[in-house]
Amino acid sequence: MNLARYARLYGHFLRFSFSKALEFRVDFYFRVGMDVAYYAMNLAFFKIIFLHSKYLAGWTDGQVTIFVGAFIVVDAIHMTVFANNIFQIGDLINKGDLDYYLVRPVSTFFFVSFRDFAANSFLNLIIAVGVLIWALARYTGALGWARISVFLLLILNGALLHFLVAILFILPTFWTHSRRGLQPLFWQTARFMERPHSIFTSPMRWILLTILPFSLMASVPSAVLFEPRPGLLIVGTAVVTVLFFSAVQWVWRKGLAVYASASS
Amino acid sequence: MAVIQTKNLSKTFRVHKKAAGFKGSLKALVRREWLEKSALQNVSIEVSSGEILGLVGANGAGKTTLVKILAGIVCASSGDVSVLGHNPWQRSNELRRQVALIMGQKAQLWWDLPAEDCFLLLRDIYQIPHNQYRQNLEFLVESLGVQDQLNIQIRRLSLGERMKMELIAALLHTPKVVYLDEPTIGLDLTAQRAIRKFILEYRKLHKPAMILTSHYMEDIEQLCERIAIIKEGKIVYDGELSRVVNKYAQHKILSLEMAGPLTDSIRQGELANLLKNLRAEVLLEEQNRVRLKVARSDVAQVASAVLQKIAITDLSIEEEDIGNIIEKLIRRDGVKYDSGPAS
Repeated sequence: MNLARYARLYGHFLRFSFSKALEFRVDFYFRVGMDVAYYAMNLAFFKIIFLHSKYLAGWTDGQVTIFVGAFIVVDAIHMTVFANNIFQIGDLINKGDLDYYLVRPVSTFFFVSFRDFAANSFLNLIIAVGVLIWALARYTGALGWARISVFLLLILNGALLHFLVAILFILPTFWTHSRRGLQPLFWQTARFMERPHSIFTSPMRWILLTILPFSLMASVPSAVLFEPRPGLLIVGTAVVTVLFFSAVQWVWRKGLAVYASASS
Repeated sequence: MAVIQTKNLSKTFRVHKKAAGFKGSLKALVRREWLEKSALQNVSIEVSSGEILGLVGANGAGKTTLVKILAGIVCASSGDVSVLGHNPWQRSNELRRQVALIMGQKAQLWWDLPAEDCFLLLRDIYQIPHNQYRQNLEFLVESLGVQDQLNIQIRRLSLGERMKMELIAALLHTPKVVYLDEPTIGLDLTAQRAIRKFILEYRKLHKPAMILTSHYMEDIEQLCERIAIIKEGKIVYDGELSRVVNKYAQHKILSLEMAGPLTDSIRQGELANLLKNLRAEVLLEEQNRVRLKVARSDVAQVASAVLQKIAITDLSIEEEDIGNIIEKLIRRDGVKYDSGPAS
């Protein structure tokens, strides 16, 4: 019942976003062009490496292409579902615009996280999924359906984790009253997602698998496809996600307790 | 029985102090000084069902902070607060379903969408049954006269129309508690009147407990029987509006309609003599009209002297403008306040 209610609310958000996005055509085409260039550059970057080497920290060209497909899907989900909302959360806190969300009989966290669906990025999400399907199809090794299913679930989990880490970078705005610095810091750090975790050595690799779990978003899900024993990676990813989800909820509650709104 | 109740409610904000100029900014970067700013001090109020309490005070007096605490937006530092038996800070959905907040300075509707789309979202948020939603929407739209604007994007509406849509959005779910924070701010006189008329109609029909803050005294005079004056975070008066006049008005206004034109000889002769020994001052002189501000205790004496010494065709005695009295109460220091029976 509750889930159906929230799905209906999300339906409203989707309708609102699409009717708004279709009004601004220039922005729509600009986003498609910008993101397609980003996808192409990442594919080209690894292609150039494989012109000079057969393996990259044990990964083959085909495996890395699947990894690139995975992280551009995670990025596209983030840009379509979460990015606009996260971008606005800092302003909502600073300008006191959380007020109306707090008086509604619905989860405020749900509202501020999902209310703005970037309909103008939706086409990019379809293109990113296309790239991933192409990467999987051209892979010459054996991939069982069970592994592919786990891989896809872990990519969705990666998008959730990406959102959780992004929001953890923005929630300190409750205390600092400025989102400047926090968001650029996230985007700089998030670039670790675009590299396979096996290229890093300890302790950096451990940091990227735990405290700043960018490797769990696309690299580890891709590794699950090829590793002989992926159980520990799957369990580890689940545990880190649960911990981050709990941390976000805790910081959110603490933040609301110090929320001062703004003078009218 | 009180629907809204606060007891010794206080709120303190922590703000950082910065010396002026670049040097001050540099200093604040290394070492920051903090100040405790008290926004509310021991506020105790009660509002019952069907009642509109006017919350009056200067900018920064604490009106909006009080409303925000009651709405569950901001957490109180100390004291008790209860709205429909709930602590608003717990933000239970059961309470939030019965409460509405309207802020004249903040929009709640989606800027790029027609109002009706936003109302549909609110229908699902508040889980209003479809039939009831239809009925409520029809009533609200008709009462506010915005039938033709429902499908126009919010950003294309006038300020007055937008405010009416905000009211509809806030009242669609028939709340039992309504907070109106400066609902007529910036509106023209026609829109202000329409909104006041609507609020009174709505109160009569649904009897919610309402708190209204406004800087427009007409709002307060026409909508509230009871007011609470808040000054520097403290309630300094809580009682009937009419009592403010009886208690704090020091003057009455005497309007004289002269039998003939107001000549210099009358002005310098009879009128000057009359005013010489009495506590009265001339507020207005024009053609054959004079308005005098007279100390309340001298009204009978002045009226009698006027009737005896000046040829007039009409005399009326009015109370001093209530807005002026409240303004004085808000601004003046050293006024001995006397709270009404409710505090």
